[in-house]
Amino acid sequence: MNDLYRPKPVTIRKIVIENEAKDIKTFELVFLDREDRERFKFTCGQFAMLSVLESGESPIGIASSPLDDEYLQFTVKRYPTGVLTTALHNLEEGTQIGVRGPYGNFYPLEAMEGKNVLIVGGGFAFTTLRSTIRYLLHEKNRSRFKDITVLYGARSPGELIYKSQLKEWEERDDISMYVTVDKGDENWKGRVGLVPNVLKEVAPSSKNSIALVCGPPIMLKYTMVPLLDLGFSPQTIVTSLERRMSCGIGKCGRCNISSRYVCKDGPVFTYAELRELPEGAL
Amino acid sequence: MQENQKHLREAAEKLLSDKKVDVIIGYERGTLPLRTRPVFIREPDETKKLVWNSRCENNLSFYLKTAKGKVGIVAKGCDARSIVGLIKERQVKREDIFIIGVPCPGIIDRKKIEDTLEGRDLQEGVESDSQVILKGEGFEEKADKDKLLHSSCTTCTHRNPVLYDTLIGKEIPEPKMDEYSDVEEFSSKKDNERWTYFNDETSRCIRCYACRNACPSCYCPQCFVDQSLPTWFGRTPHPSDTLIFHMIRTLHTAGRCVDCGTCSRVCPMNVELQILNKKAEKDVKELYGYEVGTNLEELPPMATFKIDDPQEFIK
Amino acid sequence: MKGKVIGKEQLAGWLDNLREEYDVWAPVKGNGLVSFHPINSASEIYFGFLNTRKTPKDLFFPQSEVLFSFRRGEMEKDRDTLLEKPRIIFAIRPCDAQNLALLDKVFDSEDYQDPYYVERRKGTLLFGMACTHPQTTCFCTSMRAGPFEKTCLDLLIVDLGNDRYFVEAVTEQGKDAIGKNNLLEDAGEKDTERLAKTKKEAEEKIKSKIVIEGLEEKLDKIFDSSLWDRVHQRCLGCAICTYLCSTCHCFALLDEKVDSGGQRIRSWDSCMFPGFTLEASGHNPRISNKERMRQRVMHKFNYFVKNFGQTACVGCGRCIRNCPVNIDIREIIQEIDNE
Repeated sequence: MNDLYRPKPVTIRKIVIENEAKDIKTFELVFLDREDRERFKFTCGQFAMLSVLESGESPIGIASSPLDDEYLQFTVKRYPTGVLTTALHNLEEGTQIGVRGPYGNFYPLEAMEGKNVLIVGGGFAFTTLRSTIRYLLHEKNRSRFKDITVLYGARSPGELIYKSQLKEWEERDDISMYVTVDKGDENWKGRVGLVPNVLKEVAPSSKNSIALVCGPPIMLKYTMVPLLDLGFSPQTIVTSLERRMSCGIGKCGRCNISSRYVCKDGPVFTYAELRELPEGAL
Repeated sequence: MQENQKHLREAAEKLLSDKKVDVIIGYERGTLPLRTRPVFIREPDETKKLVWNSRCENNLSFYLKTAKGKVGIVAKGCDARSIVGLIKERQVKREDIFIIGVPCPGIIDRKKIEDTLEGRDLQEGVESDSQVILKGEGFEEKADKDKLLHSSCTTCTHRNPVLYDTLIGKEIPEPKMDEYSDVEEFSSKKDNERWTYFNDETSRCIRCYACRNACPSCYCPQCFVDQSLPTWFGRTPHPSDTLIFHMIRTLHTAGRCVDCGTCSRVCPMNVELQILNKKAEKDVKELYGYEVGTNLEELPPMATFKIDDPQEFIK
Repeated sequence: MKGKVIGKEQLAGWLDNLREEYDVWAPVKGNGLVSFHPINSASEIYFGFLNTRKTPKDLFFPQSEVLFSFRRGEMEKDRDTLLEKPRIIFAIRPCDAQNLALLDKVFDSEDYQDPYYVERRKGTLLFGMACTHPQTTCFCTSMRAGPFEKTCLDLLIVDLGNDRYFVEAVTEQGKDAIGKNNLLEDAGEKDTERLAKTKKEAEEKIKSKIVIEGLEEKLDKIFDSSLWDRVHQRCLGCAICTYLCSTCHCFALLDEKVDSGGQRIRSWDSCMFPGFTLEASGHNPRISNKERMRQRVMHKFNYFVKNFGQTACVGCGRCIRNCPVNIDIREIIQEIDNE
């Protein structure tokens, strides 16, 4: 029986604690069967169901680049009532877990070619954007895109994730990085300010541009305003949503926003599409 | 009953016109033969929708948990006991509600009507003082109301509301009876017979949680069956999980359940576990001398400790 | 092809013959409820039913089923088959059979085929029993179907009200099931006349109507209407309407521990439960009964139409008959129309 719901076995090769609160970790996974990795063809913005036997599954965005062909990376935040996220955080390197997917649609990489790309991320919702940045910056790809601007914010310096990668990107001259925190501390020498406000200051051009935006619902809501003011049309603002999911393939019926299923029709939607949905996503 | 319905409408109209309450929760005619259903009335001229009859089966105190403003509520004997419980457990403030008490001679069990009909579809029903006329394709039959009463009502000793702000009609006599004879009879059965009974009943459960959701005493913000961390119970209708769900619900409502019968009336699968609730009610009465929902002063036994409480269970 | 007839007393013989090749499921009465069970003899069948309390959707999409088992962190081998023998569901009502056409759209869609549903569906023949005694809560004729609807059926059987059943093959497989047996004979002119009369009478008995023309467009416009504040008021938030619904098909995947390991299970779930959309972060996009009730109505009469071109309701009336507080979908549709 070709079972859609059966995960493929993977080993946790590496675990990185991403934040000061230690409730965000990145898991690097390697398929036990190399062919499973080859069959797992994905694009930036897609997600997979991570599975820990006895603790169930959760949909998690893929944080590695499709070009990182050896492994997959997932950054997972642990929630006190999240069964899977708690179980996952208790595991050690070398443990076997399951992955099924990839699922969902993806960022419009083709439409972004020849254009400026603005990437705005908030807090822990930076995972599939990180996948995208890695993909865009890859030596095979960089020349296909024009200016790349990244604005990333977190509540405090300790909550910024992918720190070493952020540093690496900041040192490059083919990407403009703006990292901000809502509230600094004694060691923080960088920018302080909420993402929507920093966006206004930085004021990237909307001309020939596409914006990818991910973050907590409240940030998304308040980021739309300056984006529209800067002249981004709702069609060129692209975001990725989260909802509770069970199947990942549009059958179990719980992740819909109006008639669209986040797992199948999303998670990536343009702001223009979201505005059409009466149930309201933001 | 017709008379009481008239008085009820008048009282409700006055309460709304005098702005003594913002809303009245009562019963209106339903869309199916012989059915009534809960209604929320906010305008005086809508009070003519209110009905009072032997089919007012829902325990309306359920709605007090989420109601806003000053609420007028139509309460039968059992409903009033539930309200007393909710006040004592601080789920409802006495001053926020106006209880329109209605003496209740007993509620008809829809399932008994179904049994009478043996699969035939009821197209029309008419209730008179002592009988119900059932009509359908090619039949018209009379049934005695006495024989159709819900089992909770046949042993009810609190037909008159214990707490009210206004009483509709006159109090009716409370029957004298051994209200726990059915519990005693059931308890005298062999262990395996009782075990088989409970297993049979719970085997039909589809875990729709209508029993829990309709119960005035089940107001936990998160029910133990819904908790994810830790997950106490399986969520499938596996026999052991289902049985334990019902057992724990019984224990959690012991000393609080007034045997209104709502859980049994709402069940779509005819699961009948009232004997268990009643056993708990009986035990609380015998062990602690506490009769649930009959006064506002006495402390709930499961939330109180007295030095002379029976402790034989600790061995 | 011309219809066949079979004498009522011959029916048992026919079913016995069929049982050699098939597991035959039929309505059986127990504890005041009628439900489908595998039968060993035609005498177990309860013919006096209007419809079963639960829908037979659980024969294809059980309330709970094990997807796979695991032990010490290892998944066990796949199961080979779900059905030991092909099945016949005897006396399924046309509305419940028609419903499978809707479930097919979800579970047997072009992109992902649910192997469990599909295998059960393919291994099952549906012998429908026309509804000659529709209930006051039935409104199938409003849902582009009727008491003699043949969608998804292999055979339609009609009680002619005398000593005979009319049997009409709808599919080749249905034809085979008749063809193998000499207890059925060709229908005569009188039988077909009687059939037409029975059908007409049954359709006329259905008085309940809802109007679905234009409903989808209407619902697009009233998402934020105060109507939803009214219609959910008396709702208890239980899952009777969704679990007893023919078309409701939402589910959860979850892990359960058993003695020596665990199982991943698929189990029905309901949009009427708060936990249905509750996220691990604590955020819940459908915060109260109002949003959940709206979702139920929108899913059936708007979203499903947008996604699959059909309304997700067959008019069986179970949600109306079984709601403990008498919430009536016919009335809600009427109110929507009045908006």
